Amino acid sequence: MADADAISEEELRRLGDFLYRRTGMVFTESKRYYVQRRVNDRMAATGATSFASYFARLRSDFGGEVEQFINAFTVNETYFYREDHQLRSLTSDMLAERLETRAGPHPIRIWSVPCSTGEEPYSIAMWLLENWPPVDVHDIEIVGSDIDTRAIEAAEVGVFSKRQLMRLSPQLIAKYFVALDAERWRILDDIRGSVRFTPVNLIDPAETRPHGRFDVIFCRNVLIYFDDAARRIAAENLYENLAPGGFICLGHTESMSRISPLFEVRRFADAIVYQRPAQAYG
Amino acid sequence: MPLIRRGPPEDSKAVPTEPLARLRAGDAEERWAAARALAGHEEAVDALAQALHAEGDRGVREAIFTSLAQTAGPASARAIVRCLRSDDAALRTAALDTLRVMPAALATYLPGLLADADADVRVLACDLARHLPAEISTPMLNARLGHEPEPNVCAAAVDVLAEQGDSESLAALDACGARFAGSAFLSFAIRVARQRIGAKASEPRG
Repeated sequence: MADADAISEEELRRLGDFLYRRTGMVFTESKRYYVQRRVNDRMAATGATSFASYFARLRSDFGGEVEQFINAFTVNETYFYREDHQLRSLTSDMLAERLETRAGPHPIRIWSVPCSTGEEPYSIAMWLLENWPPVDVHDIEIVGSDIDTRAIEAAEVGVFSKRQLMRLSPQLIAKYFVALDAERWRILDDIRGSVRFTPVNLIDPAETRPHGRFDVIFCRNVLIYFDDAARRIAAENLYENLAPGGFICLGHTESMSRISPLFEVRRFADAIVYQRPAQAYG
Repeated sequence: MPLIRRGPPEDSKAVPTEPLARLRAGDAEERWAAARALAGHEEAVDALAQALHAEGDRGVREAIFTSLAQTAGPASARAIVRCLRSDDAALRTAALDTLRVMPAALATYLPGLLADADADVRVLACDLARHLPAEISTPMLNARLGHEPEPNVCAAAVDVLAEQGDSESLAALDACGARFAGSAFLSFAIRVARQRIGAKASEPRG
């Protein structure tokens, strides 16, 4: 891009503030190139001729631009059975403990947030069917949520490329997908129907709270994009969304202990996860 | 297949309609919800601050701190800073964690904390300085170290300066070393800090 089109330091700061207030994601001068590319894309898509006119459109949310803008900034790079040691831990330890300790015949609720284009919640569904015999006697509700509404639409369609299926065996692909052509596969309708997708902003309790309480939450590789203040808010929202005694799985580079003291560390054979204490601290 | 599609669940426990009243009443879950509902409300800072000292549940206390941090005004910062003087170690630690996520408030209050009459508060302030940009906190630490009478505070300041100090820090380190020439630990720490600052100064820029 020509230098004349580059956004100024002050414009970048205003844009960063805007994005932070709405999503908790932090974009500063160090990510100028990343930001500039996405601003250019959105300016081209909206026909804006200057940053000032684009920013005015964004602030007034003209034509739903806020949603489009946030969508442009999210990262949707994932694949099936990613960090499957946590899926092993789900079926070897976490679910058994939940069934032992929770009261009442409610469905087991599992939340994948952010779910990106659906790989994670569908992986959970497939993993349970493949590796957890009690799946036949329990109702299980899987919810996938993301701030990126385009990603959610793609997740609901359920069409994936070879790269996204790279960790799956040919047997699993044959069992759970229908080939559309040489490069694309659609997940079976039965699996699609077992996951409910919703939009959510993790730092807005008005959006997280209506999702109710879950037995297990997968929240991987998103808190790294937040600053410390937003992480605290997200952690408290996630705490609210966990049933007492429920578990949360983070990405392998993330540690809840560095974010919030609300959770207890649980070391299982296959994974280290975090748990909402079964009782209030007192 | 047994996996099921369900409609949206019923809303989890609703936010109390009178959070100020509920903040010090009801069970921990209600107080938690009340504390979170008051986030960002300047007029609720006093009530949150009072509840902080009375609250026995660690989780609720955490929610109160986060709500004060979200309010982010001078009153909420003052309320959090007051907790640094508490005899309750958990409360002091939670206050430190909260101030770390309030860099603007921290920058405002740090000079006062570094000059506090209580040496324990000054030690904590040195650690807080680590979480501000070096160009803001290093001059404050240099100034403090130049005449700090308490060796534990000096040790805390030297530890931070070893990470983020600059050439301006050397005189303050030397002054501190001269005042505490008999302290083997401080002499060692100052020598390490000087070496690190020197190594950093000789690093190529780029």
